[in-house]
Amino acid sequence: MTRWHLASLRLWIMLLAVVQIMAGAGFVLGIALFFDHIPVTAALFVSTGVPVINLVLVGLILGPQLVAQQKLQQSYDFVRSLPVPQASAAAAWYTVCLLAGLPAVVVSLLIAEARYGFSFSVSPAIAPAVLLTAFTGTMIGYGLGHAVPNPMVTQLVTQLLVFVIFGFTPILFPAWQLPHWLAVVNWWFPFGHMAVIVRAGLTTGLVAGIGSSYLIVAAWGIIGAAASAWALGSRG
Amino acid sequence: MALSIAATEAGQSAGEWSFRAEGVTKIYGKTLRANDAISLSVRPGEVYGLLGPNGAGKTTLVKQVIGLLKPTEGQIKLGPFDLVADPDAARQLCCYLPQAPMPIDSFRVKEAIELTGRIRGGGRAEVRRRAGELIEALDIGGWADTMGQRLSGGIRRLAGFSMVTVWPGRVVILDEPANDVDPLRRRLLWDQIRLLGQHGCAVFLVTHNVMEAEKSVDRLAIISAGRLIAEGTPSSLKAGDRGHLRLQLMLVPDAATPALPPWVRQHVRAGHNLITTIDEAGAASGIRWAAGLIGRGQAEEYALGATTLEDVYVRLTGHTSADGPGEA
Repeated sequence: MTRWHLASLRLWIMLLAVVQIMAGAGFVLGIALFFDHIPVTAALFVSTGVPVINLVLVGLILGPQLVAQQKLQQSYDFVRSLPVPQASAAAAWYTVCLLAGLPAVVVSLLIAEARYGFSFSVSPAIAPAVLLTAFTGTMIGYGLGHAVPNPMVTQLVTQLLVFVIFGFTPILFPAWQLPHWLAVVNWWFPFGHMAVIVRAGLTTGLVAGIGSSYLIVAAWGIIGAAASAWALGSRG
Repeated sequence: MALSIAATEAGQSAGEWSFRAEGVTKIYGKTLRANDAISLSVRPGEVYGLLGPNGAGKTTLVKQVIGLLKPTEGQIKLGPFDLVADPDAARQLCCYLPQAPMPIDSFRVKEAIELTGRIRGGGRAEVRRRAGELIEALDIGGWADTMGQRLSGGIRRLAGFSMVTVWPGRVVILDEPANDVDPLRRRLLWDQIRLLGQHGCAVFLVTHNVMEAEKSVDRLAIISAGRLIAEGTPSSLKAGDRGHLRLQLMLVPDAATPALPPWVRQHVRAGHNLITTIDEAGAASGIRWAAGLIGRGQAEEYALGATTLEDVYVRLTGHTSADGPGEA
């Protein structure tokens, strides 16, 4: 099934890779244009938040849009009629999303080091952080694609998610820069926490409260997976 | 041709792999009966037509067979398997070609066929051999390495058929398989459908095309408003129309339906066509009437012939197979 997903993305995998890298590089380099001299902490926050965007872009945004497209083109029933266990199909899609995000993560980090002149202190904690962030992003997107019956609603929600994630979640900047109420709201959502756990694997002493962040990101991953399992197992 | 059947390992002989639907009812919401107590059985090797107008409930029935919907009541069984209780078995044992285009824009034809065969559990070498056989048999070798987005509708349809049947289950469900396929390859396609039957698959053919179904199916069911209203061989269903003829008139565009003589047994208007059934003994009167309509400029031509399955379909459903509701 992984080969099926990879082949189904073939027409735009190159474009996707370019968009991923441009998005990463764009944020890393673009934010610096707002300042005469960008503070090191701000540069670190941006540079360690960008990998989260790279990791969730395909699974969270593109994934549900592809499912919505299958529903609109009425090919969804064929895909669902294939004898693939739900867990295998989800694992295959997760693998593809992870593979699609990792190269851009590496490029974004290298560009950040070159631009700002610092070195990341990469620790083994980066591995579970990357795997869990990609998993949760993919599962939320998977749930959104399969559990929302109306594909037009799915497409609208994913577009809203792009707007909300880039503008109003503490991924590229610290949560304390948000208005208090918005920081509180964000605490219950996984995106800021994804940045916390990824940041913890790339820096030393920049973030705290890693345990609760892992829990919240994992909880959202489970919610997304459960919603997908419910939707795919539901027989109307 | 070495066609493998996915479930052979279960140790069942072909005769024990009958498909049975018993009292299948699907109710949406509280009142919409999409299927109403449908019972039918199909033996391995049979090509079984499911005919009916749009909204009759054919797709709902198919989706219950392949495990995408659960019947509100009733049972669906295939050999030793209860497909309602075990939707995973349904997906393993039944393969489905939907009417919608297959999602193969970014796949090469041969790749899509082989990948589907592998997903359905076929071994690499056997799937490759069978894919090659299908590609050759359907005469689509010129497109084997072409991306799906560059295919014409007909070739895409044949690629879809090959994907579904490269490693078929015990039941093969084909929804309008010949749509968009050119007449030459259409014959090759029907040959392959018959071969599936000969190799022990039970083939469901879901179609509006009554004329084509008449030539291709062993038995058929006509479904209307969620109910199975007739079932049998094409000949047995036509038996009720023995002694009758079909008189079809092509009316001039926008002409009103002419007044019908009292000896016209039934009629249906579909676009410019007025299809009537008359007694064999009244053939001469029918010809005079039709010639009179042409003479008065109300009709352009007529055809008189034996009744067909289409006439049975019209009589039972009030629709023509072109699927416009008839003005009966």
